[in-house]
Amino acid sequence: MSWPRVVAARLRGLFERNRLERELDDEVRFHLEMQIEDNVNAGMNSREARSAALRSFGGIDPMKETYRERRAFALVEATAQDMRYAVRTLLKSRGFAATSIAVLALAIGANTAMFSVLNAVLFRPLPYKSPEQLVMLWSQDPAKNVREGRTAYWNVEQWRSQSQSFADMAFFDGVSATLTTADRAEKISVLRTSPSLFPLLGVQPLHGRIFTAEEAEQRQRLALISHRFWQTHFEGSFDAIGASIHLEGAPSRIIGILPPDFPSDDDVWEPYTMYPDWEAVRRRRGAGFWAVMGRLRQNVTIEQAQAEMNAIARRLDEQLPLAQRNGGISIVPLSLHVIGPRPRLALWMLAGAVFLVLLIAATNVASLSLARSASREKEIATRAALGASQTRIVRQLLAESLTLAVVSGLLGLLVAEAAIRFILAVKPGNLARLNEVSLDPHVLGCALALCLFTGILVGLTPSITMARGNLRASVQEGGRGNSGGASARGVRRALVVTEFALAIVLLAGAGLLLRSLWSVENVDPGFRPERVLSVSLAPPASTALAPRTGFYKRVLEQVESLPGVESAGITSELFLSSGAAQVVTAEGDARSVSEPRPFRSDELSEGSFKAIGTPLLRGRYFSDADGSPDSPPVAIINEAMARQMWPGRDPVGKRFKLGAREASAPWFTVVGVVGDMRRQGLEKEPIPQMFEPLAQNPPRRAILLVRTSLADPLSIAGAVQAAVRRVEKYAPVYGVARLQNQLDAFLTERRFQTTLLIGFSVVALLMAAIGIYGLIQYSIATRTHEIGIRMAVGAQAGEIFRMIIGEGLTLSLCGLAIGLIGALWLGQAGSSLLYGVGASDPLTFIAVSLVLTTAALAACYFPARRAMKVEPVVALRQE
Amino acid sequence: MSNRNRDKADVLQGTLILLVLRTLEALGPLHGYGLARRIEQISKDMLQLNQGTLYPALLRMEQEGWITAKWGASEKNRKARFYSITPSGRRRLAKETEDWRRMSSTIETFLGFDPASLAEEKG
Repeated sequence: MSWPRVVAARLRGLFERNRLERELDDEVRFHLEMQIEDNVNAGMNSREARSAALRSFGGIDPMKETYRERRAFALVEATAQDMRYAVRTLLKSRGFAATSIAVLALAIGANTAMFSVLNAVLFRPLPYKSPEQLVMLWSQDPAKNVREGRTAYWNVEQWRSQSQSFADMAFFDGVSATLTTADRAEKISVLRTSPSLFPLLGVQPLHGRIFTAEEAEQRQRLALISHRFWQTHFEGSFDAIGASIHLEGAPSRIIGILPPDFPSDDDVWEPYTMYPDWEAVRRRRGAGFWAVMGRLRQNVTIEQAQAEMNAIARRLDEQLPLAQRNGGISIVPLSLHVIGPRPRLALWMLAGAVFLVLLIAATNVASLSLARSASREKEIATRAALGASQTRIVRQLLAESLTLAVVSGLLGLLVAEAAIRFILAVKPGNLARLNEVSLDPHVLGCALALCLFTGILVGLTPSITMARGNLRASVQEGGRGNSGGASARGVRRALVVTEFALAIVLLAGAGLLLRSLWSVENVDPGFRPERVLSVSLAPPASTALAPRTGFYKRVLEQVESLPGVESAGITSELFLSSGAAQVVTAEGDARSVSEPRPFRSDELSEGSFKAIGTPLLRGRYFSDADGSPDSPPVAIINEAMARQMWPGRDPVGKRFKLGAREASAPWFTVVGVVGDMRRQGLEKEPIPQMFEPLAQNPPRRAILLVRTSLADPLSIAGAVQAAVRRVEKYAPVYGVARLQNQLDAFLTERRFQTTLLIGFSVVALLMAAIGIYGLIQYSIATRTHEIGIRMAVGAQAGEIFRMIIGEGLTLSLCGLAIGLIGALWLGQAGSSLLYGVGASDPLTFIAVSLVLTTAALAACYFPARRAMKVEPVVALRQE
Repeated sequence: MSNRNRDKADVLQGTLILLVLRTLEALGPLHGYGLARRIEQISKDMLQLNQGTLYPALLRMEQEGWITAKWGASEKNRKARFYSITPSGRRRLAKETEDWRRMSSTIETFLGFDPASLAEEKG
């Protein structure tokens, strides 16, 4: 008996035991009463009649016991018998069993691994108190392409005080700060936050306490540290509480340690007021740098909260000048924020793809076992003739396929384990929560479900075909090899068509992704990353500007004098994670007001563009004179900004300022225009950008870019670090990397997805080819007789060849046509994952169709060749 | 006595299936008591059925799919469980009948066996 039936019967046994017992009682009572009646009719008195009836019936209780045993035993017995029989049959055909198990184990393993990723990344709730109530609040303005915009303190206060939908809100900003210890300086991640963040997330400190709202407001220098930081910097000693750490040159007192399971990459949490220019930050309106998190009140839906925030956003914007307006407020569930829509889609796509592979694998094995069952038909017909019921036979066949699936599933778990290890080692892209991937009970449950699903899928087709098939006929057919029957062949054809349809969906998806990858790889980043070393550094903590400029200048001198260095530059930032919006006003601009738009401002040294190879299109680079306090502010802008501010005109010599026209900000004179750099990732259009000389606004941290003449720029890393240390012993130097690698990191995720999907589709293609090969082979084998007759009556070998190839081609084209429809639909659904290629790109679709048809033809070619060589005499003698 | 009974029961176990299937095939659906009575009647009371053993046997045959059971109303309009033979049961019956015939003819041969004929053949 098959597993589900056993389980169902067991459960029924549990729940229906009473009913079954009652029925047995009824039956026995009926029997005895009838007997007594007959005995009385035969002339006994009622007592005699009763005892005679009981005597002839025999012991009632032993009988009931036997009956019960029989009832329970039948399940076990039938199951054990089915399983034993299944194992024996599978052992008899080792080739079939081994092939099927290998194919299914790989497919189940891949699916289990994929599910473990989905489970960790998407399904498992975030490790906070009632995570479904947590949302992020962003300012947004679709018209200006601001989606998840950070906002100013003033806005946060208004949102917080005016809204009713939220139990509480917290706001925070992550910064990179210099931590100075006795012998060195390092950069650590610091989150400046409102104290409400911790109760909002439901997090209690492991030791110590959290700072209060008053302490934050008083700008007390307090710090909470992560468990990791506690271990690395204090060896887990309780002396940490109350100890001081030097952050940005000033001491902060540690008052608490967060628990080890608090999921965060931050090292230190401090009050949101820790900005040196806090008063300015507080007064700021419009865009800002606060990320806002809220907890919805009980029974408040996101839609209700969104409606309320929309009203608040409108009200606030009415109070503000246009330049400071925020546009709307968007509310995003925290889980959606942690894993954005695109990685979600990509994960679902891969999960779908790997599931298709499982379907194809199961189809293939079903087709194989159908072919095998053809040769077993006589055995089964015999069993049926011996009185095996149809359900019993189906049960047996299902037991076989389930045994196959369970063995495959066990092996599949090993495959999954290996795949998970591989995924954890590769860490494709920067998918959040990926490190939580593991084989947990949910994953095991899923693997079990996959096993059962596969087993039933594999077993059902042959079972149904066979149970329905004309069993008596096959007994009578005797030794003739022409078994299988028309229905089995029809089903196998349908299976092959299905395989091809599924394979083409996968192939088309892989093709589109591959073309996207090529498009992205061919995107000009706007700079030449080869042989460039990138190093993050910061001047020793100091608020004074002049020493910072001097530090950078001396570092550049030291580095440029190193052998193997061609040029070097320092820039405040190279790669950008998110863009901010800014009002920029061009001098003499007729428009009365300008609105905030995506914009980025950076500072860099004269040699930076040369070092990373960004071309100067107009004007000049910075000179030594630029940026000195007595010279007018200058800027180099990128093409995107030139196009936006001065379309069709030469921007060199023009002036602009940051902020509205009436703002008291200084005017910058454009001295040069450089090519666009894709600093937000290769797939994002460059936003308008400006660059100032370092001296004009020396940043607190910077990236040192060194173009070398060496094959591997990393080989000079030690020398560069030493050069920086020669300038300033305590300057933190970190994040040493090849620029090429950093750029490649943008591609990791896409490469990984594409490679996986290509892998899946190649497997699918192979399986489909094997499937059609098997079918054609089988079809020829069963038609040798027919072919022999055809040739005997004068058919040419070529005709036979064409007939066979035609059969294969028809099937694959049917699959192709069905699959292409599916692929077109899927391309639309996943179009946001594509880049530089249409969702119904004809070239891709033609190419994959050709690949598939070629594979089908190749798979049919060899059997067809063999069919051509059939000797009529031999074929006829086969009878 | 008890020993003899067990021997008898063993024989019955082996043939009970045949008897039940044959009875059901010939007479159509019957309840347990009816089956027991018919078997006794057909065998002209030569076979003394230990009626209690009938029910576990019926259960087993039901599990094998040879017979099906349905609750219905008896002649005297009382609730009873009626058993009927299935196609698979008919196949089983054919097989059992054939086996039984072969067996009994073999036994018959043995019983009518004349030592002289064997010696002749040997000679």
